[in-house]
Amino acid sequence: MKVAYWPGCVSRGFTPELHGSMAKVAPLLDLELVELDRACCTGAGVIAEHNQELADSLNARTFALAQQTGTDLMMNICSTCQGAQSECQERLDANSEYRAHINENLADEGLSYEKGLTNKNLLWLLVEEIGLDTLKSKVKRPLSGLKVGPFYGCYIIRPIHRLGIDDEHPRDRYMQMVIEALGGTVIDYAGVYKCCGFPIITMNMEASLAMAGRHIGDAKDADADCLVVPCPLCHLNLDLQQPLAARQAGRELGLPVLHLPQLLGLALGLEPKDLGMSKHVVRPTSVIEWSSSVIAGVPA
Amino acid sequence: MPEYLLKIRRFDPQSGQAAYWDEHRIEMEESQSVLDGILKVRNEIDGSVGIRCSCQQAICGSCGVRMNGKPGLACNTHLGIAADRKWRNEAVGGPRDEGEERVIEIEPMGNMPVIRDLIVDMDAVHWKKFQRVTPYLVNKQPVPEREYIVPHDNMVDITQTMACIQCGACVSDCLSMEIDPGFIGPAALAKAYRFVGDPRDADHKERLKDLAEDEHGLYDCTHCFNCIDACPKEVAPMSQIMRLRRKAGSDYHIDDRNNGSRHEESFTTLVKDYGLLHEAELLPRSFGGNSWFGKFAPGAGAVLLKSLPAIVPAVLRGKVNIKTAILGHKIGSKDLSAVQRLFNKVEDRKERIELNLYVVGEDSEPEPVGASAASESENS
Amino acid sequence: MPSHDVLIIGAGLAGQRAALAAAQTGASVAIISKVHPVRSHSVAAAGGINAALNPEDTWESHAFDTVKGSDYLGDQDAIEIMCREAPDEILWLEHAGVTFHRNDTGHLGTRAFGGASAARTYYVADITGHAILHVLYEQLMKYSAQIDRYEEWFATDLLQDSNGRCIGAICRNLRDGQLQVFNAKSTILANGGAGQAYKPTTNGLIVTGDGIAQAFRIGAMLMDMEMIQYHPTTLVGNGLLITEGARGEGAQLFNAEGERFMEKYAPNKLELASRDVVSRAEQTEINEGRGFPDGGVALDVTKVPRRRTLEALREIVNIGRDFAGVDITREPIHIRPGQHYIMGGVKTDVDGQTTIPGLYAAGEVACVSVHGGNRLGANSLLDTLIFGRRSGEHAGRLAKDMTMPSTPAARVSDTEKTIRGLMNRTGGRRVSAIKDELGETMNKYAAVFRDEAGLQTCHEIVRRLKEEAETATIDDRGTVFNQDVIGALELGYMLDCAEAIVIGALERKESRGAQSRTDYPGRNDEEWLKHIDISVNGGDVPKVSYSPVTITKWQPQERTY
Repeated sequence: MKVAYWPGCVSRGFTPELHGSMAKVAPLLDLELVELDRACCTGAGVIAEHNQELADSLNARTFALAQQTGTDLMMNICSTCQGAQSECQERLDANSEYRAHINENLADEGLSYEKGLTNKNLLWLLVEEIGLDTLKSKVKRPLSGLKVGPFYGCYIIRPIHRLGIDDEHPRDRYMQMVIEALGGTVIDYAGVYKCCGFPIITMNMEASLAMAGRHIGDAKDADADCLVVPCPLCHLNLDLQQPLAARQAGRELGLPVLHLPQLLGLALGLEPKDLGMSKHVVRPTSVIEWSSSVIAGVPA
Repeated sequence: MPEYLLKIRRFDPQSGQAAYWDEHRIEMEESQSVLDGILKVRNEIDGSVGIRCSCQQAICGSCGVRMNGKPGLACNTHLGIAADRKWRNEAVGGPRDEGEERVIEIEPMGNMPVIRDLIVDMDAVHWKKFQRVTPYLVNKQPVPEREYIVPHDNMVDITQTMACIQCGACVSDCLSMEIDPGFIGPAALAKAYRFVGDPRDADHKERLKDLAEDEHGLYDCTHCFNCIDACPKEVAPMSQIMRLRRKAGSDYHIDDRNNGSRHEESFTTLVKDYGLLHEAELLPRSFGGNSWFGKFAPGAGAVLLKSLPAIVPAVLRGKVNIKTAILGHKIGSKDLSAVQRLFNKVEDRKERIELNLYVVGEDSEPEPVGASAASESENS
Repeated sequence: MPSHDVLIIGAGLAGQRAALAAAQTGASVAIISKVHPVRSHSVAAAGGINAALNPEDTWESHAFDTVKGSDYLGDQDAIEIMCREAPDEILWLEHAGVTFHRNDTGHLGTRAFGGASAARTYYVADITGHAILHVLYEQLMKYSAQIDRYEEWFATDLLQDSNGRCIGAICRNLRDGQLQVFNAKSTILANGGAGQAYKPTTNGLIVTGDGIAQAFRIGAMLMDMEMIQYHPTTLVGNGLLITEGARGEGAQLFNAEGERFMEKYAPNKLELASRDVVSRAEQTEINEGRGFPDGGVALDVTKVPRRRTLEALREIVNIGRDFAGVDITREPIHIRPGQHYIMGGVKTDVDGQTTIPGLYAAGEVACVSVHGGNRLGANSLLDTLIFGRRSGEHAGRLAKDMTMPSTPAARVSDTEKTIRGLMNRTGGRRVSAIKDELGETMNKYAAVFRDEAGLQTCHEIVRRLKEEAETATIDDRGTVFNQDVIGALELGYMLDCAEAIVIGALERKESRGAQSRTDYPGRNDEEWLKHIDISVNGGDVPKVSYSPVTITKWQPQERTY
């Protein structure tokens, strides 16, 4: 299927392994990605915090660009992008007067946002568009014996009503469902639905690192081999900052943190090196070792 | 009628025992409330179950508890909905089995010391923070003889924060407060907005400055949305915090020492200049000032030094490309110009435009039943 | 030992307003509440507060509406005071910060309300009580140096000196069960009505008649106890309140046959007739078989534009959704009359003084009387604030010339014994079972329509329940937040109030205001234009006496809407 693809800023900046692994995994999932390279940053909630109309206009522009590609829906690979965009979309869709006003801002480029764009994070797309059964059928290296702790990232699970989470779409269980579909073991721990601390890294660094340290520590105590996150900003606070988080928490951590496409890639038969795992600050040694003990295509 | 297994968290400080789960099976309708269930236990079985409650209609704010992990009011949470949560929390997809038990774990709210059973010490946390934000109107002078003239929509707008029933559900699950107990917190900050958004109050700037400069104040909120989900009255505390930030930064230009407004401004400026976030610049500018020279300020230097254990491996492993780190990555020039035009158009406005769906509401709703319906349906 | 010029028991609107007024006179003030002040049931008041603030309106018009609404049982001197002082009180609230909604010109907005000849109800969406209560609490924070708050303390006994003067109270700290003597030159009861004696009721679980019963037990006169207001629009299932504000905004009532039946009963004011008229109309429709199977009639809020409903009636949208599964912006909701308010209470003068020296009462606990036989909507919020203020001022001023009384600390041991005795009982009926039976009984025999036989039966049952309550057992024997033992004490209060209500209803052999006797269907001014007073008589049936109604400007007329 063809989707309009918003890769976000950080996947092309400080977490290039995310962008790279997504590009490798897409064809294996029969996903044709039409990259929205004309679009700009969603604001990550920070621009909305600064000026709501500005954030709404920037995102309306992105939505309009997506609508122009003629694809069925837009996809992102970042919880924060999802949340920031959903917030703007909620306002734009709710009130036609406001939408018209924002579209006026876009008029000089000849762009206009029409109500009702479907914007899904990769995680939702996997379950809702591709389907777990199809996903299972593509697994070449089942994640058997790999204990994976999910970490969602606040922006993709709250507020519930804005993110379409309900009984028909238990989107706050998708990570667990995907891990199991790929053959892995889900590790439940206190931090699954908590905050990585990234939003306050400059305002209260201690608290931010304490949060990251605590959740990583809790996952370690629950015997996880790694965490998996659908958000590169979370990845920054959990992986890039892990040495500092360890210092703040006063304990050794060293727990690898994978991007969702990397976990997918492993299960679909790709090698850790191709998925950019060597670029992580916390070397995913345990994961790499596990993967070499299970050669893709050969039953475990 | 379905049967529910209520597991109530009990704790009696006089017993010397640790907290424990007290289990009761009761038959109740799905649409009855968790409080109905607890009161049935209290009335008919064990009168020592401690829970604050009064109005039973979500207005007094007494019965805040955690039900299957989520905070809320016991009186307006249906048993059926609460029970489903437990099943959802443990299931990995698929419908619930017919025979599966309907379990509801009821615990006291978090972030506050437990006095007994489901009763927490709100004075120690919730009310303490409330008092912190000067929780009364400081009259704008001169006080008119009759009423202040205030636009209709303005009053409806602050009714959103006035509607807070002080139940503590937001405080219970605030993730910033969990890590930093000194954080002023969502309830108190929403209360602060009730004054900052009220044109009859004289102290807008002072309030904002005070909250912005506090280490555990306005910028300590980690943006996790827990409070918005927790609130039973649609106060949306985090949204009020963001409105306070907009007023503090954009309207009053308060340059706080917590890097909050600098962080916001830097982020915004970087996106304007590059179309994308230039991560390497974000940290130094937040600490040192919103310009390319920000990184040379002492504050920025200090934090860069502190961050070496993260920066060094990142560079060594090739995660961070030196070129990208210095030059950033941009979108195409034509698009960048268009984006910059957008920025200028919006930022040049005299008054910020802000949409509050609580006030404005959503349009295009289907015709209600029972009202005089149009005799002809409209063809699309 | 806490000693204050003014001790206020109850921190709802009346209590908090009294505290602020007393503090303003320079008096030292203590305010006690068995729940945190913002949990007081004033918080549930929804629709608004009346005042003739509009220059085109007059306080005389407001007063007349109130007198007529009271079915001429209200004391007109008190009513005049309340209506005359109302406009200033609204402005006081506005300046304190109450977030009153505005009209198009930015001035205070009004909505229409029951029994009013002009739109004079000032409001905050449909959370007016909540807004005022929270703003008053903000003021208590502001003046916390002058006003000592004792939150989650329960007053167990009123104290008297050898002359019978009230000199304070014994209070129990709910957190640890500690009992404490509170000395006070004056004591103001502001602890509300007795709705929990009925089942269902719109009142919260804490409204158990504590003040009425405690005053009664030390000899204070109660007045007009038979006047119980049944609110026209309470949910059929659980009796929760749907504000009159809905009708004020244009909602209409229909029976199961689709008839807008108020046209028959009140052709002019229709749904905005006084509450007793509307409740009787609904009950008649229901009794005569034109109600729905669930026992109610329909309130149609879809008549109000949706956006206005969301703006001004948001709370009832939530109530409809959460407690009845109905979206009131799309379909009618089923309601029926439900117990809501007690016009009667502790008899006071216009400064809140009861018949016991040193003891005041203000708010629903009191009967001045400004509501007489029936209270107009949005007059209760006004009543609490006007007479709360007046009591506080009066008590505060008197304090200057008084010496502080003192009760020995050892006095608490009597109360300790009583409570221990209560805790140690075995083998009796459960408190909640007695309470349920009381509530169902009152709702059956002392509701909208009453008669001699029913009331006699009711009285017998109440007396039997009083006996059972003497041995009622509880489970909790601890001291940390023991709500069980408080429940047992409250049961006793509710039973005392219930008996007074029934005695009053038996005594008044006419129909007036909310008292509707099918065996005495008309209003009989010649014999019954007087208050029925009730006083304690040991453990026996309370004594009945009478007091005159004060008439100033408005002679009783026929009352139609």
